[in-house]
Amino acid sequence: MKRKLLSVVLCAGLVVSVMAGCGSKSGGDSEAASDMDYVKEKGTLVVGITNFEPMDYKDENGEWIGFDADLAKEFADSLGVEAEFVEIDWDNKILELEGQTVDCIWNGMTLTPEVTSAMECTDSYLANAQVVVVPADVADQYQDEESLADLNFAAEAGSAGEAELEARELNVTPVTAQADALMEVAAGTSDAAVIDLLMAAAMIGEGTSYADLTYTVSLNSEEYGVGFRKGSDLTAELNDFFAKAYEDGTIQELAEKYGVHDMLVK
Amino acid sequence: MAILEVQHVSKSFGNKEVLKDISFSLEKGQVLSLIGSSGSGKTTLLRCLNFLERPDGGVIRVNGETLFDAGDAVTGQESEIRKKRLHFGLVFQSFNLFPQYTALQNVMLAKELLEKEKPDYKWRKKEIHAQIEAEAKELLDQMGLSDRMDNYPHQLSGGQCQRVAIARALALKPDILCFDEPTSALDPELTGEVLKVIKSLADQETTMIIVTHEMAFARDVSSQVIFMDDGHIMEQGTPEEVFINPKKERTKQFLSRYTEG
Amino acid sequence: MEFSEQLPIVVQALNQGFLQTLKLFFVTLLGAIPLGLIISFGSMSRFRPLSYLTKIVVWIIRGTPLMIQLLIIYFMPGLMGNNIWGGGESGRFLAASVAFVFNYACYFSEIYRGGIQGVPKGQEEAGLVLGMTKSQIFFKITLLQMIKRIVPPMSNEIITLVKDTSLARIIALQEVIWAGQSFMKGNQGIAGVIWPLFFTAVYYLIFNGILTVLLGRLEKKLEYFR
Repeated sequence: MKRKLLSVVLCAGLVVSVMAGCGSKSGGDSEAASDMDYVKEKGTLVVGITNFEPMDYKDENGEWIGFDADLAKEFADSLGVEAEFVEIDWDNKILELEGQTVDCIWNGMTLTPEVTSAMECTDSYLANAQVVVVPADVADQYQDEESLADLNFAAEAGSAGEAELEARELNVTPVTAQADALMEVAAGTSDAAVIDLLMAAAMIGEGTSYADLTYTVSLNSEEYGVGFRKGSDLTAELNDFFAKAYEDGTIQELAEKYGVHDMLVK
Repeated sequence: MAILEVQHVSKSFGNKEVLKDISFSLEKGQVLSLIGSSGSGKTTLLRCLNFLERPDGGVIRVNGETLFDAGDAVTGQESEIRKKRLHFGLVFQSFNLFPQYTALQNVMLAKELLEKEKPDYKWRKKEIHAQIEAEAKELLDQMGLSDRMDNYPHQLSGGQCQRVAIARALALKPDILCFDEPTSALDPELTGEVLKVIKSLADQETTMIIVTHEMAFARDVSSQVIFMDDGHIMEQGTPEEVFINPKKERTKQFLSRYTEG
Repeated sequence: MEFSEQLPIVVQALNQGFLQTLKLFFVTLLGAIPLGLIISFGSMSRFRPLSYLTKIVVWIIRGTPLMIQLLIIYFMPGLMGNNIWGGGESGRFLAASVAFVFNYACYFSEIYRGGIQGVPKGQEEAGLVLGMTKSQIFFKITLLQMIKRIVPPMSNEIITLVKDTSLARIIALQEVIWAGQSFMKGNQGIAGVIWPLFFTAVYYLIFNGILTVLLGRLEKKLEYFR
């Protein structure tokens, strides 16, 4: 009896997972040709973001603004739909897209191989770098890549920074967020962290809890792009939109406003 | 006419036959004592009368009305059983008072729930409640508990609890009041007060069936005694017949254990 | 920014986050308390297929992490081609509520089962011979005795629930810990600040303190009988 019960349960579990597998595939295929229609039909472009100054953040009225947020609003306008911003857990961004709970990820997203293989990504629109963060009092010892060999690093799991460290065979402790990586350095549990240049500029130094931290070496330069569901026709649409917005100066204007003009991709 | 007629009642639990062809009758105002060793089927018989168990065979009649007939499925219908139960009252060995209610509330609860189902309850709510309360107080008074009405069961002694339980059963004015070893869970010094109450009920000609191990009490209070052994009625008669001149060897054996002990 | 300038901004954000925490907490209680009773009746049913089915469901829900259940409930419909929750905050809250209500109902059902089965059989029999119906017996006799039995274990679960609501972060429900963390990443001009995250603990502590007092009072109130 018990063995029978167990096999029934296992079968049920199998059926559910197989159905889920098929479902995601067929869902992906059928949506692919009509993702733009799907968005237009429901009238909203749901943009998956995190609170990430100066890309996506809230003004004093609670309105989402920022370089990415403002551009996303313009893009939604061009489609004739509303942009709706939703804060997501960054670890789940692919789940959010495939589960149709958001329509795109537009949040200073680095185009890593993982990202480009899982999403239909646009051409890059900003260039960023991964920088090494160390305590300010020892910063002068770590001004080149050779000096990093013996350090223990913290980096966000799955981030471009982690990938760069692993490529150089340095010691990495993966943590859940870039902010956690900073806390590791501040608390002395790691010697150094690798985070986005953008993040580093906003989060460390005077007036933060990390006044004693600074950033030194850039490990690479990298590119930011917007991700849609695999096979989505919105990717091409947004590439066209970027081209036009660059042409008429909208992008340059926004970049100036949010202080990212040095990072613009020509 | 007999108030209670039991004919050929049988009952099995699995393969074990605990009641075998039980037949007897009881006149109004009589007291019947059921004696016998534990496991002889006395308690099961009481539970069958109160529809806590369903007999496999036989017929049970009260005042000529057939309450149960194993051959007639209609009499076993769940919806009918509730009303039929009210012909009987049952006092348990372990009292089974409701712990969250006071002595008075324990006595009043069932009656109030029954009255609530009547169509005129809404208009006469207060009047009905007052009447139930008065009756309950009188019953508790009769049990010698007039100063214990507002106590909760855990504040009462075992003997007091059992007297509340008797009042609770009496509140519904059953035709026949059954006792399932009413003093077995009590300390010896407390059995007297409960037996006294039962005796006074017998004096008022309350029809009762008492399962008991108190032989002296059974002899004193009963108009009829049944000795049960292994699911059978072994011997049946007046207290004199069963206690003083038992015919069966098995009865003598059983009784000798009590007189010697 | 000075600490004194940060404080009102942080407190306001944490208050807002804690409001979500409280909402999820109360919705879960309101849903799981009655649903748990239904599930406990299912698992005690004499109709074997029903009781087996309920027991399997309870086993699955209690045997897997709530975090996985949240992910499955929120993302699975969309992955199978039909997102029923929408993408906004209300959809996330709804999905989290469903997961929490179901999860806690299963835990509650086992507590209820223990509570109901702990009431002596004689109580039901006493009600039956007094001509009461099954439902009268349940509501007038068994229920309160059961409540008395389950208050201590339920208090434990309820206090755990307060803290478990933070798991809803996995589907980006912006409860108090999310709000605290936002100041590390940067929020309203405050970035790289750690203390708000640790400060969220104070919210949990105070709320659980209030709950402990209230549940303790309830337990005391039921001490009038044994």
